[in-house]
Amino acid sequence: MLSMKNVSRIYRTDVVQTHALRNLSLEVEAGEFVALVGPSGSGKTTFLNIAGLLETFDDGSYQLDGRDVAGLNDNDRSRLRNEKIGFIFQSFNLIPELNIADNIDVPLRYRGFAARERKRRVDRVLEVVGLGGRKKHLPSQLSGGQQQRVAIARALAGDPGFLLADEPTGNLDSSTAAGVMELINEIHRNGATIIMVTHDLELAARAERIVRLSDGQVVLLDEGGEGSELENGAAV
Amino acid sequence: MEIGPILRAMTRNKIGAILIALQIAFTMTVVVNAYFMIEERMRLMERPSGVVEDQLFHISTRGFTPDFNGKVSVQDDLALLRQTPGIVDAVAINAIPLSGGGWSMSLQVEPGDGEQGHGVAIYMVDDHGLDTLGVELIAGRDFTPADVRERGPATSDWPDKAIISEATVKALWADANPLEVVGRTAYINDDEPVTIIGVVEKLQAPWNGWTTVEQSMLVPDKLIWTGVRYMVRTEPGRRDEMMPIVEELLARSNNQRIVRAPESMAETRARSYALDSGLAKILGVIMAMLVSITSLGIVGLASFSVRRRTKQIGIRRALGAKKRDILRYFLVENFMITTLGVVLGAVMTVGFNVWLVQALNFPKIDWLYVPIGMLALWLIGIIAVLGPARRATAVPPAVATRTV
Repeated sequence: MLSMKNVSRIYRTDVVQTHALRNLSLEVEAGEFVALVGPSGSGKTTFLNIAGLLETFDDGSYQLDGRDVAGLNDNDRSRLRNEKIGFIFQSFNLIPELNIADNIDVPLRYRGFAARERKRRVDRVLEVVGLGGRKKHLPSQLSGGQQQRVAIARALAGDPGFLLADEPTGNLDSSTAAGVMELINEIHRNGATIIMVTHDLELAARAERIVRLSDGQVVLLDEGGEGSELENGAAV
Repeated sequence: MEIGPILRAMTRNKIGAILIALQIAFTMTVVVNAYFMIEERMRLMERPSGVVEDQLFHISTRGFTPDFNGKVSVQDDLALLRQTPGIVDAVAINAIPLSGGGWSMSLQVEPGDGEQGHGVAIYMVDDHGLDTLGVELIAGRDFTPADVRERGPATSDWPDKAIISEATVKALWADANPLEVVGRTAYINDDEPVTIIGVVEKLQAPWNGWTTVEQSMLVPDKLIWTGVRYMVRTEPGRRDEMMPIVEELLARSNNQRIVRAPESMAETRARSYALDSGLAKILGVIMAMLVSITSLGIVGLASFSVRRRTKQIGIRRALGAKKRDILRYFLVENFMITTLGVVLGAVMTVGFNVWLVQALNFPKIDWLYVPIGMLALWLIGIIAVLGPARRATAVPPAVATRTV
């Protein structure tokens, strides 16, 4: 599903160069659930941005679902992002002026679906996340956990097959976070490929594989699950 | 098109949008009515007077000595002017078109005190009048020397012949054509008969604001007064050159009178319409200021909106919006605000004009101005929002993952 080879990203200002990613190589198979951990400044967000086609890279190669994305223009990247990738953000990133249904509808409109199809998909994903009765509510009328469920519904609505989750439970209390993680696990069990950035080692341990970044490079790969090195906190 | 979500989003954050829509409506109301007024003024100002203005100037003299002989003076002056190289013709005349000062009388088709009269401006000229003014005779004949009589300050009766403008024909005999009225009799001063011997296509009265400004009459009276005004027609292109020459010629030819500075018909026209011209300029400046302020308002609202929604734009980009989707979003949003403004503006424009018609006797606005005004404000709205909308498209999708 995702294949990065020797990807580098350098942020330049007039006086300083910052190597956010250094020759990073990573393979993620279709249907895998990978957790990405690492300290602040390790390059997690840059990796997420590049993997999600939100920004470009300076060197190396990146194939998404078999397609080389290096030479794509802005329109092609937008289309690929819309069709292949679902985003789940730490701060939910719902549009405050739009109700729940309209929020979920946003990527579907950019996809060009007809109104009836969009409505069908909105209704379906709201049922999946258990918020079928909240279509007309504004984000501000929902709890944090509910908002993240809406964000997950928005990510799922286009059937992307590849989910990028950036600290999906970072803004939630533990009981709410558990519910959201259970939902993400369920999505994974249904066949989605997931890369989840997290600081929470317990959550990371739920992934099939754990990747640790440090200084823009992959420094540790772990199979995750019970008894793993990361579960015991040794690698972070 | 995201009309539904944009509309729903706007209703939750509507103060700015409503204020801009009201500003657009107010601007449209003032601009359309002001533009209509300017056009009306321009239309009035562009009306031809009927005389060859670019070849004409007028100059007046007044005798001041006890033994000043007006009759001799006029004869000598006209003889001098008519033989001066560069001058086509000259005539003593009682009034100047567009000058604001002159005579008018009532002309009627039947004699009698109670008959309906039609106001006409009176121009007293000799047999050189038509040639000097350059008016076009479309029926009948010009005055001959035999038609011309002398008119002194004490003369109160009227000559028995006249040449009238075509507009006067229509006023007196509504369905008649100019050829038919030659030889007909009209009555001046209730019961003095005047035979119409000719019709000129156009000759405006001296008063541009007069409702019957196109109604005029030339009578064959040669003025024998101490104060007299000459209309002088020069060869084409020589008017400005001849004005000081004529002034000096007249001043030198007779030292028993004063000669006032000549004035070209172009200057007379400019003076005549100075108020209209000034009003049109003021209205133009007000229009430009209002349009500028409204455009800046739209730019300001859109710029503020882009800044306020930078994160949202990034989220939309992350979710698959192309740059053109972002551009379209802001254009559609602005189009909806502008549409509200121009629809409201159309109602206000008509309402304001109805008030102007009823309260100030303004002309009724041509309905075409309303859709044209709406279209213009729409275009201004789109142009104004283009800059901020293009800046919005530059927001990168990676903004979505930034936490600050």
